[in-house]
Amino acid sequence: MNRREALRRTAMIMGGAISAPAMLGVLKGCKAEPTINWQPEFFTREQGALITEVAEIIIPATDTPGAKEVGVPGFIDKMLKDVYSKQEQENFLAAMKAFDDRAKEERGDSFIDLGPEDQVAFVNKVHEEAVNAHKTDPSQPRPFILMAKELTMLGFFTSEPGATQVLQYSPVPGAYKGCLPIEEAGNGKTWAT
Amino acid sequence: MNLNTDAEKKNTFDAIVVGTGISGGWAAKELTEKGLKTLVLERGRMVEHPNYPTATKDPWDFPYAGRATQEDLKQQHKQARTGYTVSQATKHWFVNDLENPYTEINRFDWMRGYHVGGRSIMWGRQSYRLSDLDFEANLRDGIAVDWPIRYKDLEPWYDYVETFVGVSGSRDGIAQLPDGKFLPPMELNCVELDLKDKLKTKFNRALTIGRTANATAPLPHSPLRGTCQYRNLCSRGCPYGGYFSSNASTLPAAQKTGNMTLRPNSIVYELVYDEKQGKATGVKVLDAETGEQTEFFARVIFLCASTFGSTFIMLNSISNRFPNGFGNDSGELGHNIMDHHLSAGASAQVDGFEDKYYSGRRANGFYIPRFRNIGNDKRDYIRGFGYQGGASRQGWSNMVAELSIGKGLEEAVSNPGGWTIGMVGFGEILPYHENYVKINNDLKDKYGLPTLTFDAILRENEFKMRKDMVSDAAEMLDAAGYRNIATFDNKIGVGLGIHEMGTARMGRDPKTSVLNKWNQVHACKNVFVTDGSAMTSAACQNPSLTYMALTARACDYAVSEMKKQNL
Repeated sequence: MNRREALRRTAMIMGGAISAPAMLGVLKGCKAEPTINWQPEFFTREQGALITEVAEIIIPATDTPGAKEVGVPGFIDKMLKDVYSKQEQENFLAAMKAFDDRAKEERGDSFIDLGPEDQVAFVNKVHEEAVNAHKTDPSQPRPFILMAKELTMLGFFTSEPGATQVLQYSPVPGAYKGCLPIEEAGNGKTWAT
Repeated sequence: MNLNTDAEKKNTFDAIVVGTGISGGWAAKELTEKGLKTLVLERGRMVEHPNYPTATKDPWDFPYAGRATQEDLKQQHKQARTGYTVSQATKHWFVNDLENPYTEINRFDWMRGYHVGGRSIMWGRQSYRLSDLDFEANLRDGIAVDWPIRYKDLEPWYDYVETFVGVSGSRDGIAQLPDGKFLPPMELNCVELDLKDKLKTKFNRALTIGRTANATAPLPHSPLRGTCQYRNLCSRGCPYGGYFSSNASTLPAAQKTGNMTLRPNSIVYELVYDEKQGKATGVKVLDAETGEQTEFFARVIFLCASTFGSTFIMLNSISNRFPNGFGNDSGELGHNIMDHHLSAGASAQVDGFEDKYYSGRRANGFYIPRFRNIGNDKRDYIRGFGYQGGASRQGWSNMVAELSIGKGLEEAVSNPGGWTIGMVGFGEILPYHENYVKINNDLKDKYGLPTLTFDAILRENEFKMRKDMVSDAAEMLDAAGYRNIATFDNKIGVGLGIHEMGTARMGRDPKTSVLNKWNQVHACKNVFVTDGSAMTSAACQNPSLTYMALTARACDYAVSEMKKQNL
């Protein structure tokens, strides 16, 4: 499905704009049932649930929509299916499995079966390690968390909410001004394109 | 008997133009405006301004964030070599490589699209004049053959085409990059102005805004042309007519005369030569949709089908008079493939300017004209290179690893990142007889036509030049006080510059060239070739403006010769 469709369906099922943190609050202390409200074409439902939660941790809803609401999980699924080569798909799935295996080892359960606080803590830990490793040796193959992060950001910042609410976007600028005080360059945010 | 004559009459014109790209559009305009009933044949489908399918789509309108899928890459695996031609926004402008194959003895990159307008839809629009430094180069270096023209021959035609096209730029007084008839220049941004200043004081070198065929002011003589809206989506086609394309500019002018018959889906595969008359009488056309073969006749024929398009037609036109290809007495047809070699340069991070930003998306960059092998500068190679580049504030894609995740990420990305600046060299490739293309009758394309086999490589002069392209860029960025300088020198194929030229070169002597000083085939004066095939040397400047000037000049000559009954 395309992002617009994903967005519409998500809002419908969630009865409007319930943000992920709010939902997490309701489910605090309970094991979240790992369901997703979109149909993966490449991932299994479990893999889809994993990527959904990870994406939302990377870009959570704040006063602007998060990764889930703009359809990032479905976008990642499509990218894996159609854009990634066979080798890249295998690398990604292997890295995802390693991520999940580590969650089982360190936190006692598959990632999608962990409680929300555990998920966030685990992702943050894994991410910090990955960033440090990348600083030390950028030539090393990217761990799952950085691959997921890149895809999440790509999907988010090319989405309409991402490009127009978090960044700024002008479809027909009409003029080019090369050297402006930053606050006079539109609203001073990063241009989306 | 009558039927044949009627059919022939229906298919007979004053002039035939093959191709509707940069040069074909100009030939169509000039010949029709001078009163010739002109058949304009385009092998590809019709594309009519302002119908460009992806032109106004927003980023979220494309699947895959606009990236090519594996299936796209399979169908267009050679077109994808640039890294940018096969995107969801532009892939429909480039050929299907499986249907239009070619053979490469060494890696050869041939990027093109078959449709009305050709690459005048997707081109980079950079428009620079050649100077006598370039026209005299072969003679001075004792290389290949001398150009049969000089700058003064082309100057009034550069004036003429620039005025119609609308080239924006600044008059800089640089001898090796002659000034033109310019519309107002686009702005350089703060960091680019900083580099410009530093190059002047530290190296006495020029940096100027790119000279681009984008209209920064209205062009009242061209009704479909609007002004550039700074969307920087030019290669999708521009419904505003903001930049020069055949579709928005020359073809409408030709249409207006009432003298043009435009026939898309018409693949010219052979010239028809009449030995008794000693001239070409017409062309053979294969209809791309029906497979029907038809002959069309004319007094004068302009081959503007792109370098390899026109060269193919000539190589495929075998007769008793021309056993080695049309007009190929010299043996040079198909040889001397040139291009600009690129993908070598440097980039850097720039401190400061944190309080400055730009607005609008400028469809242009800066240009550093050639400074090597000029005056007293003597390198261990001949000729030179220019740089195209730009400065910008980093977006998120360079900061994936660095950025913290969670709530802070959006905040961080929404603040414009640090400034970076980079430049890529465009280097002149010398004319080597050994760099050539030939017909391959063993591999047919989807229409059953023979295909082309390429054998062209970069050689010693180019590799030595590339060393400077890298180190000069790094040196300039370093001297400007920028940091984290990263150089690059990527392995490329000839053709990647998408400025392929030289395979039916102009020259003074029919024994060593294919065309004369008027772009006429030496051996058959009613056939003109005015696309990149004609180029005798490549210079380092983007060549399309020169193709336009050569075309307009050749058309003027052709018509005056026709009036004198010489053609």
